Amino acid sequence: MMRELYKKTKQLFPLGDLTEQRHDLVFVSIPHPFLSSLLRHLRDKEGFSHLVLLTAVDWLERGEFQLTYLLCNRSKAWDMGVRVVLPREGATMESIHTLWPTAATYQRELKEMFGIDFPGSPGVNDDFILEGWDDIPPYRRDFDTLKFAEARFTQRPGRESLDPAQHMAKHHSDGS
Amino acid sequence: MSIQDLLSPFTAWKNLFRDPVTIQDPFNDRPGSERYRGFHKNDVASCIGCGTCETICQNAAIDMVVGEGEPTGAGDSGLRPRIDYGRCCWCALCVDICMTGSLTMSNAYTWVERDPDAYRFTPGVDKKSWDNAPLGYQRAESHRLAPTQRVTMGEVAPERRIGSFEEIVQGYGVEQARLEADRCVSCGLCIATCPTHMSIPDYIQSVRDGDYEKGLALLYETNPFSNVCGRVCTHKCETVCAAGHEGEPVAIRWLKRHIVDQLPVEKYRRIIGDPKPPTGKRVAVIGAGPAGLTAAFDLAKMGHSVVVYEAREKPGGMFRYGIPEYRLPYDAMDIDIEIITSMGVEIRCHNRVGTDITMEQLHQEYDAVLLSIGLHLGRSTRIAGSDHKGVAKAVDLLRDIADGKSIDVPKQCVVIGGGNVAMDIARSMARLQKSTQGEIRVTVTALEDLDHFLADPEEVKECGEEGIAILDSRGPQEICLDDQGQIIGLRTWGVESIFDEQGRFAPRYNPEDEQIHPADRVIEAIGQQSDVTLLGEALTEKLAWNRGRIAVDGQGRTSEGWLWAAGDCVNGPDVVHAVADGHRVATDIDLMLQKKR
Repeated sequence: MMRELYKKTKQLFPLGDLTEQRHDLVFVSIPHPFLSSLLRHLRDKEGFSHLVLLTAVDWLERGEFQLTYLLCNRSKAWDMGVRVVLPREGATMESIHTLWPTAATYQRELKEMFGIDFPGSPGVNDDFILEGWDDIPPYRRDFDTLKFAEARFTQRPGRESLDPAQHMAKHHSDGS
Repeated sequence: MSIQDLLSPFTAWKNLFRDPVTIQDPFNDRPGSERYRGFHKNDVASCIGCGTCETICQNAAIDMVVGEGEPTGAGDSGLRPRIDYGRCCWCALCVDICMTGSLTMSNAYTWVERDPDAYRFTPGVDKKSWDNAPLGYQRAESHRLAPTQRVTMGEVAPERRIGSFEEIVQGYGVEQARLEADRCVSCGLCIATCPTHMSIPDYIQSVRDGDYEKGLALLYETNPFSNVCGRVCTHKCETVCAAGHEGEPVAIRWLKRHIVDQLPVEKYRRIIGDPKPPTGKRVAVIGAGPAGLTAAFDLAKMGHSVVVYEAREKPGGMFRYGIPEYRLPYDAMDIDIEIITSMGVEIRCHNRVGTDITMEQLHQEYDAVLLSIGLHLGRSTRIAGSDHKGVAKAVDLLRDIADGKSIDVPKQCVVIGGGNVAMDIARSMARLQKSTQGEIRVTVTALEDLDHFLADPEEVKECGEEGIAILDSRGPQEICLDDQGQIIGLRTWGVESIFDEQGRFAPRYNPEDEQIHPADRVIEAIGQQSDVTLLGEALTEKLAWNRGRIAVDGQGRTSEGWLWAAGDCVNGPDVVHAVADGHRVATDIDLMLQKKR
């Protein structure tokens, strides 16, 4: 059971609470300085040999980014997500490309989309998909997609839109 | 070059006899996958034109345009979304947010057209070949961008509230109100339905922003009775709320109350502002109820001098004398009235027009007179025995309770009627029984069946919680008396139908289905009328009438140039309608006074 694994691992690392999403999928959190030690332990001692993905959530109101490292133990078909929280301001995280070379690609993407830096990660500053991007990283929640779209892409002429409430004030029988 | 490099191209030959993974025929249909996000479909019959799709679209690809054959009506703007596929990125946020679920996506993704403007069309209105495509993206049932349930309102538990007239609804706290306000998509469909057209989305926005002073200013733009309406408004707005289509409507009424709850009354006047300089014109208002006081408030703000004549001990009209304290505490109503008098409106209570001063005197002394006398006379069923002294009218009893008079509390009573007044008197009687006798024995008999009840569903629910028996589809036939002439009950028959084929009120009963409901008191709550004796004979003769009510035009003018009428006495009972009416006549009276100047 993953719960056993959690108990065992908690003796070695300062893990947060366990979230059991499914019997074969759990999430744990850990202060970010311990991340690479924990991942190395899980990879080398507990069979989580595969980095499935690395992704981020922008908790704008809390001023934090949350990173989720999803690992897979193939022989047991277990997935474990390890979460760390970073201050949003000047967000920087230790690179794990030495553990899994593929992490470099995820880290390059996160640098581009969220502006989270991973110093030392190969090619982390190269364009990923947003060639020539000159705005704030677009997955940050303070990026105003609509404003960007309106500034970048011209409207076809002849468009007009009516406001429902104002339209009703004019045309609804009670709306006068 | 190694030998393998030379041979490897030939190894690919082994695939020659396998089934190809590509589709062989590129010229025929290649349908998108089951949940493909292709061209939009819109079920225009269930679309309400709220424009939430337009608001959420991050590419500004949607315009709201007049739909064909979709007339503007209650809760439907008549507009429909037009999508510019030159901008659409197929993200489906519009489908995910759609308040009615009318907007979906087909799995069609191929369409070739020379005219670029063809890629801007109104799904559902402009017919397309994929309109009936069964596949494509639809929002999953579990996938909602906004909560469908409203934030629960704290209420005093039935067993506690039944012992007193304590207010039941406790009001939202700041956090709760903000969460509830977050459910509003600011479409504004409710504004047209609100009789006084309150700027609902804007004041809900002020709750989200925590800017209660702005909220109060917005409320006062259209309604000087927000403490009252925040509690007892008929909240027609909520019946058309976009959130109500796939969940519970936003608790608009409670949010209004939340705004007034947040500000001390001392702050109100500064926020509302001062009246204009005096005009020297004088207006008399008869009846200090919602319509009369709203008009008085408006007229005073415009600088006119207003005197309100009120027959009863205290102002408030149907608010005070028709609505029990557990729904509308007198303190709350008094705040609204205090603000109105602070604008310079003089209310003369205990001043009955027709007795203390005549209509003719008012006509002579004032530049305009407004009649807003409400509906204070209860109607009678006129069944046998209904003239017995133990048979009472709900309005009379509610008034006595409001005046603090001691009521002869029956051991067991039957209420005739299925509207809110019937619920009000039943629940008031239950409270009095509980506090004087410890036991509740109240039965309500209504003509309507429960599915067509006139009372608000929450009233009916709360009646049940308080131990009141509601019997639907019962038609009153006779007040039963014993040999000593004391009331022993009400005899009813089951109702087969209430209206005839022409839609006229003509109840048909089944005499086989007879019941006698034991009671030592029967209360009639089947409707009210105005007491128009104050008009005097001459004026009554002169005025034009419309089916028992004074006839008025769209501005509230009667057939006499100096006399306006407004509120329940011309429209029938509805709090917020009365407020709207008050505004309307005030505007018209002001226009007339300006001309006179």
